[in-house]
Parts: sequence; C-alpha cells; structure tokens
Amino acid sequence: MSLFLASLGFGLVTASVLAIAAVGFTLQFGVTDVLNLAYGAVMIAGAFIAYVINNAGLSVWVGLPVAVAVCSGGSVALNSLVYTPFQRRGASPITMVIVSLGVTLIIEFGVQAVAGGTSVSYHLAQGPTLQAGGLILTAVQLGVIALSLVVMAGVHGLLRYTKLGKAMRATAANRMLARTCGIRTGRVITLTWALTGALCGLAGVVFGIDSGSFDATSTDVFLVLILAAVFLGGPGQAYGAMLGAAVIGIATEVSAAFIPADYKYVIAFVILLVMLGIRPAGLLGARA
Amino acid sequence: MNSYYLINLLIYAAVDAMACLGLSQQFGIAGVTNFGFIIFQAAGGYAAAVLAMPSDSANGHFQSYIGGWHLPFPLPWLGAAVVGGALALPFTFLVGRRLRGDFAAVGLLVTAVLVNLLVTNYVPLLNGDAGISLIPEPLQGVLNAATSGYQWAFTAVAVILCAGVYLLVRRLTESPYGRTLRAMRDNDTVADSLGKDLRSLRTGVLVTGGAIAGLSGGILVSYITTWSPAAWGYAETVVLFAAVIIGGAGNHRGAVLGAVLVPVGFEEVTRFIPSSNNLPPNLIPSLEWVAIGLLIVIFLWFRPQGILPERKRAIALPAVAADVQSGADDPQELTQPTLARRSGAGSAGPDASPVVLRADGLTREFGGVRAVSDVSLTVRRGTLTGLIGPNGAGKSTLLAMLAGTLPPTSGTISCLGQDVTALPAFRRARVGLVRTFQLASEFKRLTVLENLLSAVPGNRGDSLAGAIRGRRYWGSDELAAIATAEALLRRFGLLEVAGQYAGDLSGGQRRLVEIMRALMTEPTVLLLDEPMAGVHPNLARRIGRELVALCRDGMTVLMVEHELAIMDEFCDPVIVMAEGTVLAEGTMAELRARTEVVEAYLVG
Repeated sequence: MSLFLASLGFGLVTASVLAIAAVGFTLQFGVTDVLNLAYGAVMIAGAFIAYVINNAGLSVWVGLPVAVAVCSGGSVALNSLVYTPFQRRGASPITMVIVSLGVTLIIEFGVQAVAGGTSVSYHLAQGPTLQAGGLILTAVQLGVIALSLVVMAGVHGLLRYTKLGKAMRATAANRMLARTCGIRTGRVITLTWALTGALCGLAGVVFGIDSGSFDATSTDVFLVLILAAVFLGGPGQAYGAMLGAAVIGIATEVSAAFIPADYKYVIAFVILLVMLGIRPAGLLGARA
Repeated sequence: MNSYYLINLLIYAAVDAMACLGLSQQFGIAGVTNFGFIIFQAAGGYAAAVLAMPSDSANGHFQSYIGGWHLPFPLPWLGAAVVGGALALPFTFLVGRRLRGDFAAVGLLVTAVLVNLLVTNYVPLLNGDAGISLIPEPLQGVLNAATSGYQWAFTAVAVILCAGVYLLVRRLTESPYGRTLRAMRDNDTVADSLGKDLRSLRTGVLVTGGAIAGLSGGILVSYITTWSPAAWGYAETVVLFAAVIIGGAGNHRGAVLGAVLVPVGFEEVTRFIPSSNNLPPNLIPSLEWVAIGLLIVIFLWFRPQGILPERKRAIALPAVAADVQSGADDPQELTQPTLARRSGAGSAGPDASPVVLRADGLTREFGGVRAVSDVSLTVRRGTLTGLIGPNGAGKSTLLAMLAGTLPPTSGTISCLGQDVTALPAFRRARVGLVRTFQLASEFKRLTVLENLLSAVPGNRGDSLAGAIRGRRYWGSDELAAIATAEALLRRFGLLEVAGQYAGDLSGGQRRLVEIMRALMTEPTVLLLDEPMAGVHPNLARRIGRELVALCRDGMTVLMVEHELAIMDEFCDPVIVMAEGTVLAEGTMAELRARTEVVEAYLVG
C-alpha cells in the first residue's frame, strides 16, 4: 500500500509536468493545424536554456522565465519561418509532419551539438520532504504540482473568459468561418504559437526538474507520453489533454510499482495505439 | 582505395538502397507514411541473427536471446524477409479508412520509439542494450569468411539481391496494382468509392515494404555480425525518409540515388574529417543529424519532387484500330436524337421498371444538426433521376450516405435488393453503386488514361499476386481496359489529353474525367454530385445526352444538379429536397405546378 501511495505521489508530479506539455501541444495542434512533432525538441531546448543559466550560478527559478520566453519566441519564429510558408503553399498534413520531424532533428541535435551528449542536472535543493496520508513529496515536487494547477486554471480562464481564448476556440473549430466572422486568424495563430511555445518551455524546465538528469534526447520518449495524453483526451481538446495527462501520468508511475520501471511507458503506448485505432477523436472529441 | 573499403561501401549501398526501395514503395507510390520503417529492418536483422546463431547456451550465456536455431544459409535471410513482412500485420488496424494519414504516421513513429525502448531494456529477448554479437556469416565453417574471394562473393550476392528487389518493386509499380496504389496515394476517399479496399491495399504495402526492409536487415547483420538497439533508433527512419525525398519519392532510381547520397554519402563524408582533433566526441554525429533535418526541410521546400521526379507513364493507345471503329460509332452516338427515345420510355417505362436503389428513413446528424431527416426514396432502373434543392438541403449528405462515404445515423439503404447499409463504400462500389464528388477529385499524378484505367474492376493485374505474375498474366485484361477507355475518351472528346496528368486539366475537363472514370467501373447505379458544375453549357448538354443513352442501355443515374435547364431536358423523375427532407417527386412539369416546391426552390 505504501508503495502504491509513493508511486501515486510520483504519478501526480509526472501528471503535472505532462499536463502543462500536453495542453500546450493540443492547443497548438487544434488552433494551428500543425502536428508539431518538434514540440519535444523545443521542450528540451528550454530545459537546457534554464540549465545554462542555472550553471552560471543563478537559480533554476530564474532560468525558468528565460526558457519560457525563448521557447515562446522560438515557436513563433518556427511557425512564421517554416510551418506557415509550407501551409500557404498547400502542403498536405503528412508533408507538415515530415517537415516537423526534420525540424525535430535540427533542434534536438543542434542542442546536442552545443551541449554535448552527456546528461546534466539542475543544482536545486529538493527542500524538506512532506508527508500527508502516505503521500511523500518534496517541496519542489509540491511546487511543480502547484505550478501546474495554476497553469491549468490560467488556461481554463483564458479559453473561457477572454476574447483571445474565444477567438482561439473559434479558429480551431473552423478557421475560414472564424475569419469571415471578423476574427483576425493570422494574429490568433501567432499568439497561439507564442502561448503554446511558452507552455512548451515551461514544461521543458519542470521536466528537467522532475527527471533529475536529462540529455538532448530525453524528450523522445516523453513526447510519446504527450501524444498519448493528447490522443486520449482528443486532439485539439484542452480539457481532454488535462484529463489525458492525469490518466497517463498516474497510470505510468503507478504501473511502475508493479512492473519493472523500464516498461512503465508501455501503458501509455498501448493507450495511444488503442485510441488511434478505435477512437482517434479521443474521449472528449465526440463533437469534433 | 583498398578492396576492403570498396566491399564495405558496396554492401552498405546495397542494403540502404534496398531499404529505400521498400520505403519508396510505401511512401512514394502508395502514400503510406511509415515512420516506423526502421523496426522492420531491425526485425529482419534480429531474425537473421537468431536463426543463424547456435542456442544462447552454446557460448556460455555471455549473451542471451530467444531462438538460436543454427539454420544454414540462406534460411536466415529468408526468415528475415518473412519476419519483416509478418511484422506489418499487427499494424493493419492503424491504416484503414478512418484514420488520418498523419495520425497513422504518428502511431507508427511511437511504435518505433517504444519497440526500441523495450528491446533495449528487456535483456532475455535479444540481449538488450548490448545487442547481439558473433552473428555467423553466411556459410561460415564451409567457406573461409576472411578471404577476399568470400567477401567479394558476399558483395555480389548483396548487390544481386538489391537488383532483384529493384526489379520486383518496378514490376509491382508498373502494373494495374501499382496504378491502384498511386491512385490511393493521390486521393484515398475517391479510390475507396471506386471499389478499392484501402485497408488491404495498405496492409499489402506494409507487408511488401516490411519484407524488403527485413531482408536488408538480414544482409546487414550477416555482414557486420552484430546488431543492437543503438543501430535502429527512430531517427534512422528519418534518414531513409530524407534519402527517398531527396532522391525522388515514387521513382525507384531516385530511391537508389537517395540511398547513395544520404546514408552512404554521410558515412563517407565524415570519414574525411580528421579524427585527431580537439572536437567534442558527439559534435560531428550531432551535426550530421542537424544536416539531415535541414536537407529534409530544404528539399521539401525547393524541390519536393526530388532529384529524379516520378516519371509520367505513357500508355500507347491502339490508335489505328480505333479510328476505323470510331468512324462508325462516334457520329451516330452524338447525333442521335435522344429526347425522342426518352419521352417514349419516360411515360410508361420508369413506373414499370424495377427499383434498383431504395432508402428508408435515412437520417444523418452532425452534432445535433439534422442534415438529412428521415428521407425515403426509390430509384428505378433505367431512369435518370434528378435531385434538386436549395443549398444546405442535404443533397450531398444524402448522396454520401447512399454511396457509403458517410455512415447514416439511422435508416437503411438497399441496392438491387441487397441491404447495403452496413457495407463500406468500396464494397458498395463492387455491388455497382458508384459515386462522383462535388469537389474536384481526379487522381492528380495519374494521366487521364490512367485515371480511367484505375477504375476498371476485376483486372487480373490489380492485386499483389497478379502484379507479381507479370504482364503476361494481366496484359490481355489491360488491353481490353485500354480499348474501353479509349472509346470513352473518344466519346467525350478527350482523346487528345489522354496522356496528360489529370491535375493539369481545366476544371470542365476534370469533371469529365471523373464521370468517365466512374463509368469505367460499369456501375449499375451511378450517383453524380453536380457533374455539370463549371462545365460549358454545350458540354453539359452533351454529358446529359450521353447519360440518357447509358440509361437507355440499363444503367441508372441519380444526379444532384442546380441547373434547372438540365433537369428539364434530361431528368425524369426529379426529387426535390429542402431542409433535410424530401419535399416532392415528379416530372419537372408536375413540380412547377406545386406551390410548396416553387416556394422552396423554383422561384425565379
């Protein structure tokens, strides 16, 4: 039982990291219609930016906003320099995915070329360990969970109550119609890249904090978890991604208590393939 | 240049070229984006290894693996191809009709990442991360593998097998089966509506490509005698994609060229970077990956067709024989006063002739909106039935449900007395219920003639097995199909453009291609969705006359059309739809007398 509770604690942390990443991914895909497989590469770039600042003697928490800003700007640049030109030319969805794979290699191995192939970790005190009802979490882990909850609440508020959020939802539902209704879809899409890029950078840094040590290729497998969470909830569905992240994050960590930890991702993989095969619109995607 | 270097180069080139040919067949010809391609090569490699090796207890358990059957050459290579092909079968569910191509690609990519993770971590299966080593070379023990004669013989066999693969994929591609694959690549929904079984076609492509990849893996491990998960990361697939894109997807020579330029070329170029410098150890490999990523993006932007683009397939028309035939056939067909015949049949015929298509209570909802609501209708043999109604009346939705492109929310459909409600589109097409589309739907990178030929049912060469048996097996079917297509092209006046890509035609010509292509299936019931939209009125009238002539010969047409003059002239009866329901049915004269119909649609 204690093993279960301990793994549940890990699961909550993983789910928190995953939720930030998956919500960003799903909004990016839903609004911009780009299945951006380079998302994981941008994440790890963000993690390394925070590492560079951290390594220079500053706190990770100082590196975090810098990584967020760089990933946000970088995603906007990526879209306007690569994806939008291809889309304007009428590239098929499959061409876009291949382009995004090319971009993945450029970013991921660009990071590796600069950072070297070795694993790094942040200099970060985990803080006091807290226990509550069998759950054991460090202060930093609690911080990650709290941060994720704040981000989820923020995304909820944005989509629900702001003009930009409504414009994003309208653009996701039908870009042409949104445009004819007077929504400046080009601007909405740029802002979406900025926002989801920021979420991506944030996810990268908390991923680095949560995983302890990481290298340039660490997000290859994490991208599978993101995709599983996104497809479980339904691609393009922000609340679906939150639900998916909770299920996938907790399921992988809890399963690690019972099967060798190396195989904990199998459950995410199975969920993803089952969803793709049976219900590609996802659990919350029935309306799509 | 010593001979060891040359042997190494040739074997790698043969293995990579083989893999690229398999991938090009999937991606370039059939449009199946298999981001998990490398695991098929990996599976072939492992299969060849464990088939050739002695049991893992033989060398004191220093490595553990399943199998160890110690089979003689060439069984391990055969096994590699079989395992590579069989591995495709579990993916069948991913590549059916319903899943978007990019989602299926993601599924395959994810599979590749996780299979690698599993094999890396689960040691008893294939010795985990360390991989398998001491894999026997072919005929080791019989021959001395260290001699240069042996090495050259190995090279020759690898190159010959590569040439064999090249001939095989060419034979497959340049057959009616290959044409069907290319049609599916250009527009899978339309291929489905013409009776092509997408799932089985894609599975077939995954199996052939997988077998080729497996064989290439088997040859590779027999040469390098070791195989580990590091050799087949997901990114290796991207290298092969880069090769195929750069060489020219859909062109087999391009695939070979790409293999030489990208995987082999990168390996060779890095040889010339001096190793005794102070660069960090990971820098050069990392930059290689960056370069491959850049090459993909740059090529897709500046030269998406690759260095050697897919070439146009010119099919010779038996022009002389046809000229004689047409002299007798053509003018008669066009000058015959079709209206007189039709009015004669129109008064007594339709009511007496049997019902060929029946819909009962058809309903389709889109998120709470009823696009079609409880529609029942019958279409009788030999009629040219019109379907009119204002925009948003549900005409196209109804047509899509009848053809099987869209599943109904409720209701039943029967064709020729058979309940087809549960049949997917391609099966309905095989029953004889075929549709065309409102939006342009020609196969862009097939010539006009190929567009027509692609629709012919029952060509013996239109299957994997038939294509392998070669032109001698299917040539006569093909000639018959070409003759039919030529007659049709002549009838619709498109013979001059028969050899052009359908995507290069004008809008009106493309509509004609689509109608002719549907006719090539020899449909019993033809569903046409605005076939005359954007077509010159004279040509529209000519299409109308041809359709009437075909109906006289027993075909049945249900046609959505906005142009009332066309309805007046050719259609009887006409069904009027409004707001998802059938409002009225009758001749145009009868309909004009009914106020509710006039109010709904005919005003003005």
